[in-house]
Amino acid sequence: MGRQLSFSIFRYNPNIPGDAPRMQEYKLEEYEGMTLFVALNDIREKLDPTLMFDFVCRAAICGSCAMMINGRPGLACKTMTGTLPSRINLMPLPVFKLIGDLSVDTGTWFRNLQVRTESWIHTNKKFDPEALEVRMENKTAEAIYEPERCIECGCCVASCITANIRDDFLGATGINRVGRFLIDPRDERTDAEYFEVVGSEEGAFGCVGLMACDDNCPIELPLQQQLAFVRRKMAQAGLKLDLKGMKIS
Amino acid sequence: MELAKTLQVTLNKKANPKTDLYVDLAQSLSGVFLVGFLWMHMLFVATIIVSPELFNSLSEGLDKYYLAQVGIPATILLIICHIFLAGRRAPMRLRDMRIAWRMTKMMGHADTWIWAGQVITALLVGIFASMHLWTVLTQWPLRAATSAARVASVGPADPSWGGFTFPFMIVFYVIFLLVGEYHAGFGLYRILVKWGWFERHKMGYVLKGITVIIVALGFIALYTFTKIAGGGA
Amino acid sequence: MSAKNAYICDVLVVGAGLAAERSAVEAAEAGLNVIILSLVPPRRSHSTAAQGGMQASLGNAALAKGDNPKIHFEDTVKGSDWGCDQEVAKMFCETVPIMIRQLDYWGVPWNRVTAGKKKLPSGIEVEDTKDKEGLITARDFGGVAKWRCCYTSDGTGHTVQFVVDTVVCKLGIPVHDRMEAIAIIHDGETCYGVVARCLRTGELNVYLAKSTVIATGGAGRIYAASTNAVINEGTGAAIALNTGLVPLGNMEAVQFHPTGMPPVFILMTEGARGDGGYLLDKNLHRFMPDYEPKKKELASRDVVSRRMIQHIRAGYGVQSKYAPQHLWLDIRHLGRQWVWTNLREIATIAGNFNGLDPAKDLVPVVPTQHYTMGGVRTNKWGYAYGLKGLFAIGEAACWDLHGFNRLGGNSLAETVTAGYIVGKQIVKYTLGATQDFNYKLVEDFVKQEEERIKNLISGKNGKEDVFEIRDAMQQTMMDHVHIFRTGPSLEQGVAKLQELYRRSLKIGLHSSGQGANPELAQALRMPGMLRTALCVAYGGLMRTESRGSHFREDYPKRDDANWLKRTLAYWKEGADLPTLDYEPVACPIMPPGDRGYGEATAGPKGK
Ligand SMILES: Cc1cc2nc3c(=O)[nH]c(=O)nc-3n(C[C@H](O)[C@H](O)[C@H](O)COP(=O)(O)OP(=O)(O)OC[C@H]3O[C@@H](n4cnc5c(N)ncnc54)[C@H](O)[C@@H]3O)c2cc1C
Ligand code: HEM
Ligand code: HEM
Ligand code: SF4
Ligand code: F3S
Ligand code: FES
Repeated sequence: MGRQLSFSIFRYNPNIPGDAPRMQEYKLEEYEGMTLFVALNDIREKLDPTLMFDFVCRAAICGSCAMMINGRPGLACKTMTGTLPSRINLMPLPVFKLIGDLSVDTGTWFRNLQVRTESWIHTNKKFDPEALEVRMENKTAEAIYEPERCIECGCCVASCITANIRDDFLGATGINRVGRFLIDPRDERTDAEYFEVVGSEEGAFGCVGLMACDDNCPIELPLQQQLAFVRRKMAQAGLKLDLKGMKIS
Repeated sequence: MELAKTLQVTLNKKANPKTDLYVDLAQSLSGVFLVGFLWMHMLFVATIIVSPELFNSLSEGLDKYYLAQVGIPATILLIICHIFLAGRRAPMRLRDMRIAWRMTKMMGHADTWIWAGQVITALLVGIFASMHLWTVLTQWPLRAATSAARVASVGPADPSWGGFTFPFMIVFYVIFLLVGEYHAGFGLYRILVKWGWFERHKMGYVLKGITVIIVALGFIALYTFTKIAGGGA
Repeated sequence: MSAKNAYICDVLVVGAGLAAERSAVEAAEAGLNVIILSLVPPRRSHSTAAQGGMQASLGNAALAKGDNPKIHFEDTVKGSDWGCDQEVAKMFCETVPIMIRQLDYWGVPWNRVTAGKKKLPSGIEVEDTKDKEGLITARDFGGVAKWRCCYTSDGTGHTVQFVVDTVVCKLGIPVHDRMEAIAIIHDGETCYGVVARCLRTGELNVYLAKSTVIATGGAGRIYAASTNAVINEGTGAAIALNTGLVPLGNMEAVQFHPTGMPPVFILMTEGARGDGGYLLDKNLHRFMPDYEPKKKELASRDVVSRRMIQHIRAGYGVQSKYAPQHLWLDIRHLGRQWVWTNLREIATIAGNFNGLDPAKDLVPVVPTQHYTMGGVRTNKWGYAYGLKGLFAIGEAACWDLHGFNRLGGNSLAETVTAGYIVGKQIVKYTLGATQDFNYKLVEDFVKQEEERIKNLISGKNGKEDVFEIRDAMQQTMMDHVHIFRTGPSLEQGVAKLQELYRRSLKIGLHSSGQGANPELAQALRMPGMLRTALCVAYGGLMRTESRGSHFREDYPKRDDANWLKRTLAYWKEGADLPTLDYEPVACPIMPPGDRGYGEATAGPKGK
């Protein structure tokens, strides 16, 4: 016999005229190995077919299902109900635009981020289909992969007060993303160009060091190290550019 | 509206793209210097534990070589800069304060609480520091005996208050000590977190250790002052 | 009411997975005006879940020496059990190394060769040579003669999709995410685009294009237990089938992956066995060498999956809280260091969902639905059969690189290679096409969808529960159309599915269906999913032979004399069964022969 779980779930569908934000209660019986993915689908299929939430991979690798679980952001699909008290409070992630109930628009936010930080390899080389790949140390490849693992779930952004207050802040994920390109030998951007992307209040210098990102990243990216690395790099770049008397246009 | 916004951004960029870097660096530097000052200051004050003579000679020395005359205004200036630099990080608008407070309560995340504490202590430190400076600077020069008297003074002891007495100064110093060290200790922690190579959890323990030692020294020093004032030691 | 918005473009790509985005890049680079539609933001597409890697005969790793497209081709054809289109396979194997290098140029952090001697878990010593140091390395995978699977740790799909998406961002290709294509607009000859439902607002939109590309991924969710994402419901292929003109090819060819982890059925990558992992039974005996002395755990997936079930049936399965019957995956001997760097993702998954640490614990595994070899049938240039201006690529298509069994690592490789090759054809076709469409025709298609929605909401056709029907379909597929198939059981399965199909036409919502209502979304997909399921079950029933992953216990042999052909399933209007047609499979390069695994021994083995 499982516990009786009571869910308190945020409900609001902005597309239904007259709908108002509220918390709604649901009760379910728990069983062995139950995750929030299973629980929410049970609620939708048996109790309330209008409930909106997002799951894709249900394996904690696509980043779709982040929500505030008892006040903290996390991936619902990998959260075992057994690790939670029997009262479970679910809210959508803050910062991102609400689509309805627990579903938020991380897609647009992240796409915007990619474009703002120009997160693609900048190179003047042309691809030569005849040529071998450029050699790279395996260590370098692994170092690039580390920050590249970010699944864009938005937990770091949602839990960061800076990002909650300022909508132009790139968030830990954005700074981490730029850090990935900083160490990639294929990217030919100069320090000045990187500086333009993250060397500001919107980027590396906007982070206050709250570390909610570091503590809430579901795939445990070393965000503290990444943020500090980019900050140092940008400070170095900024100061160096000055000494050389170079101008950033 | 959109146009105005973009124009603003462009103008800002044009002004000097590196302002943000300088301001951020300056903020952290002001923090580091202030922590350095405070910890040093507490060690100076703690010399009273060893002997009033040492305390006196130190402060005489500072006066003699004009270190105090330069140091004190410099520190005041530093604090003012710091208030502007670090102060801008504190949520200013009501909306921001609400968001910050709601998120902090909701998440129950340690470092976020610590930061909230830092913003609140910042206010107190600001008030306390100006009062403290006022009392110290208006009763120049500084010697063990006068300091002790001040620390131990009771107030208001005004008959019109019904002869009511209370050791305001010692309470003032105790609170000041706690609030100041909290603000400084965690401030330094966050500077290192933001710039450093160190794993923050380990670093946190080290900084907490240092802070506890300094607070303890402060307490003993204050106790010693009251003892001196009371004619002991 | 009519459609909320209408968008007009040159190329409309339905889907934002790897195949979709790679083809979009090709079209955009040619200066065409491209729009991408997707259920989810591109980086959440199921391609990101691919862990193991991509096959390409670069020949850099120690045990890859001497590899070339020809050997890759042979492995692919053998893997497909001679069911694939050999011309496609040849073209693919020759192109894929260039694709890998292009991905590298775009930024994929492929793992590299580090020189030096290494001892493999199997005890063999190999040496990576200095001259290859720093080039892209590869790992072993099932059913291959050489180490050929290029990888980034075990997040290959993730890094490749992210990198291709960076190119999409760079080119500024608009992506309309949360936009589901629900009907293809056509006049019986030409495809003009799609009607799409916005999953944010519930509104209907119209997308008109000279070329429409179906790149909507697999249909794993017609089964209850699948490694696929929950969005892999095969709706893209279903709307093509729904035209009555476009056939789905070889739908009975469904791949079951040996190592899905119960009870959640999340994939434990083949890389785990590629890197030296074992399969153990309830006596902790490594049983695969008994069945497949040569390839052991690394025979092709269909073979390993069958051997596992065979072994379980012989009484060697494990009973535990994870599943009533399963086996163990053992990678403990690879060492903590290896497990937590090269197989970190699966280590994390085992930890997250079963609290296990594969560096010291055994992981429960059981063969699980994994890949849809079938799909929208296209010619070798990606043109869908039946409608002009319609293309299909990736898992949604039956380009027919995989025949009756796909080799691990060939699918990610297919997505980008097809994206490139077919992408070029799309460009060619589009540049030669003119945009003319009949406004009335478009209106009619929109009206038809509006009508469907209205009826679902009002319950005009009935009050059947959509989730109940979905569950019943998924269970039927598990019970009757799984790894081992027989005529009678398939017959029952088909009958049950037909019944469910009829019921699916009578679905009525329990909720109001307002806005982006999830019940309505599911209800709109349901008949299409059942049609797809019926193509699988009925195609399987009619194919009286065993080939690749399609295994008939009553016809256990491959029958090249009668069945060297591809199933084409059409759905005629008003029917409740697909109409099957067949086309010959040519073997111009490599005549049918022995695969070299799978056939060696017959009976179950145990210790
Ligand atoms: C767990 C797992 C691991 C795998 N590992 C490997 C591996 O190691 N190597 C390998 O080669 N292969 C692997 N595969 C297979 C491979 O990942 C897939 O076959 C491949 O990624 C499919 O890519 P795709 O672009 O065709 O489709 P997907 O990536 O599935 O993308 C489909 C897209 O279509 C969109 N879509 C669907 N329906 C609609 C609609 N109606 N309207 C609008 N948009 C729609 C979706 O939003 C999505 O963007 C793995 C598969 C799984 C399930
Ligand atoms: C001796 C006195 C003080 C010391 C030692 C001190 C030290 C510090 C340090 C080290 C930091 C961290 C800075 C950073 O993160 O870069 C900090 C932050 C801060 N200080 Fe002070 N400070 C003092 C006084 C004050 C005063 C008087 C105020 C304002 C009234 C103030 C307001 C703040 C604020 C708001 C922050 C938070 C900034 C942030 O979030 O980054 N401080 N302080
Ligand atoms: C913002 C932080 C502070 C500033 C700017 C400050 C400044 C000063 C200055 C300028 C003096 C005179 C110094 C001298 O000549 O040596 C002084 C003395 C002193 N300070 Fe502080 N101080 C601060 C914090 C504290 C704290 C937290 C305590 C805690 C107990 C403290 C306790 C004392 C004592 C006991 C003296 C001795 C003199 C006296 O009170 O008469 N100070 N301080
Ligand atoms: S950094 Fe971590 S928390 Fe932030 S989006 Fe990426 S995976 Fe999520
Ligand atoms: S929580 Fe926010 S302020 Fe910085 S350390 Fe993380 S980004
Ligand atoms: S559903 Fe993909 S991370 Fe949870």
